[in-house]
Amino acid sequence: METQDVVQKPARTEPAKSTLPQPGRPIPSRSYPGALIVVEGTDGSGKSTQLYLLKRWLEIGGYRLHFTEWNSSPLVKSATRRGKQRRLLTPTTFSLLHAADFADRCERQIMPLLQGDYLVLADRYIYTAFARDTARGCSPRWLRNLYRFAPVPDITFYFRAPLDVAVNRILSGRPKLKYYEAGMDLGLSYDRAESFRLFQARILEEYDKMVDTDSFVVLDGTMPVNKLQKQMRDIVASKIDLKRFAPRAEAAE
Amino acid sequence: MPDQEKEKPAAPATTETAVAPAPPKAAAPPEEPSQQPFFGEPLVGFDPSEITGSLIVIEGMDGSGRSTQIALLQEWLESEGFAVQTSGLRRSNLVGRDIDELLAKNAVTRLTLALMYATDFFDQIEHRILPALRSGTIVLADRYIFTLIGRGVVRGINRDYMGGLYAMALRPHLTFWLNVRPETAFGREFRKAQAISYWEAGRDMSLSHDLYWSFIRYQTMIKREFEVMAKKHNFIELDGEASVSTVNKLLRQRIAEQLGIRSTKYTPSSALSHLWR
Repeated sequence: METQDVVQKPARTEPAKSTLPQPGRPIPSRSYPGALIVVEGTDGSGKSTQLYLLKRWLEIGGYRLHFTEWNSSPLVKSATRRGKQRRLLTPTTFSLLHAADFADRCERQIMPLLQGDYLVLADRYIYTAFARDTARGCSPRWLRNLYRFAPVPDITFYFRAPLDVAVNRILSGRPKLKYYEAGMDLGLSYDRAESFRLFQARILEEYDKMVDTDSFVVLDGTMPVNKLQKQMRDIVASKIDLKRFAPRAEAAE
Repeated sequence: MPDQEKEKPAAPATTETAVAPAPPKAAAPPEEPSQQPFFGEPLVGFDPSEITGSLIVIEGMDGSGRSTQIALLQEWLESEGFAVQTSGLRRSNLVGRDIDELLAKNAVTRLTLALMYATDFFDQIEHRILPALRSGTIVLADRYIFTLIGRGVVRGINRDYMGGLYAMALRPHLTFWLNVRPETAFGREFRKAQAISYWEAGRDMSLSHDLYWSFIRYQTMIKREFEVMAKKHNFIELDGEASVSTVNKLLRQRIAEQLGIRSTKYTPSSALSHLWR
């Protein structure tokens, strides 16, 4: 058919309403079809290994998923790197820069994918900021406000390992700790390993405080890897209707 | 914050001659009933009692004459013997240039941009403004949190969220608002660069495909936010449509009062005389 209306006025539509939860409004956790699974825990608690295995399991099964890591947005990366190298960061700017990174991933990846019916796996989430930045002295109330736009996870796994176990895992595998990683900016100790230990102890304490308030699913990070993974898979299968994320061809009857 | 000795406003212009240094007025009532140094939360690792300088903020839309007035005020204050430091948006060592790049690429979403601006702001507060205020310097801020809050709010970010974000911002000693009509501002901005930038016109908000109307609508929305904040935060509103010298005189009078300067007499040096029209 020939187009008769050659001169067609471009429709001037309102900008599409953002799918991002509005900061400040309560976020209905089920306003999108996707599901969000988050792992949290101190460095060396085993969370990244476990999330990797969970991801492999789901990938092999053909599920639609996306994996996102803390502090990985390319947009903010150069600023973070510069700030860390030159030690320009204070507790407040450290926190804000990570929030900017998270906002970028949230607005451009996490929310669109949750809307698009994906399973999103996040290695560290806002609770990392709550634990770490509170340990640095930031106000918890200010931090909670800062991250009000984040969707509430369907499952938050908290990998809990005793301080010595976690710290020794890191210290044995990573001989050189970075300045901010070791919490040197807090002036807890001139010795990096000791500073790291003291900083991690504070973070662990902050994580423990959130177990009830933020409905963490606590897993024992000292268990053998395969047993822990079995537990994790069982919990995911029981709490999330995985069939929905199966390959689309099969899902459509 | 040390108690500000309240000085009588400088005498009317006719008797504006240098007077012998005035003895500090005793038993002056404090300016405001116990204003908190921060808007909400205290800033980590900072003791507000160390502040001996003054933070003076000039707010207003693009084309309201802020930077002109700040250049003149700096010269005047320096001639009066005060150390002056200026600050403005996107000037931090930490992320100033990163924001420039984000704006140029136009690949950034509103919340990320708002948080990058907040990072820029607090980096300057901690590394530039507070050290200056501790050493008794007068800080002239070209825009402050109010612009940043306004820009976020008109883009649909919750007002409380934006306010909470800047809870640890230092409360200025004086906040001036150079209020102009968007139409006037448009003309001034256009003359400056023979163009209107994408962000000045709020093009990201899809208000209009016409650059002029986009600018007017966007700046009107921002202006409305300023009207809300003006009441809440005791802005000193000045008519930005008035001549540079008239606005400058009003600014000097109010600042002189705040700092206890007796004379508000000032004629720009030849370096700045081109601004004086």
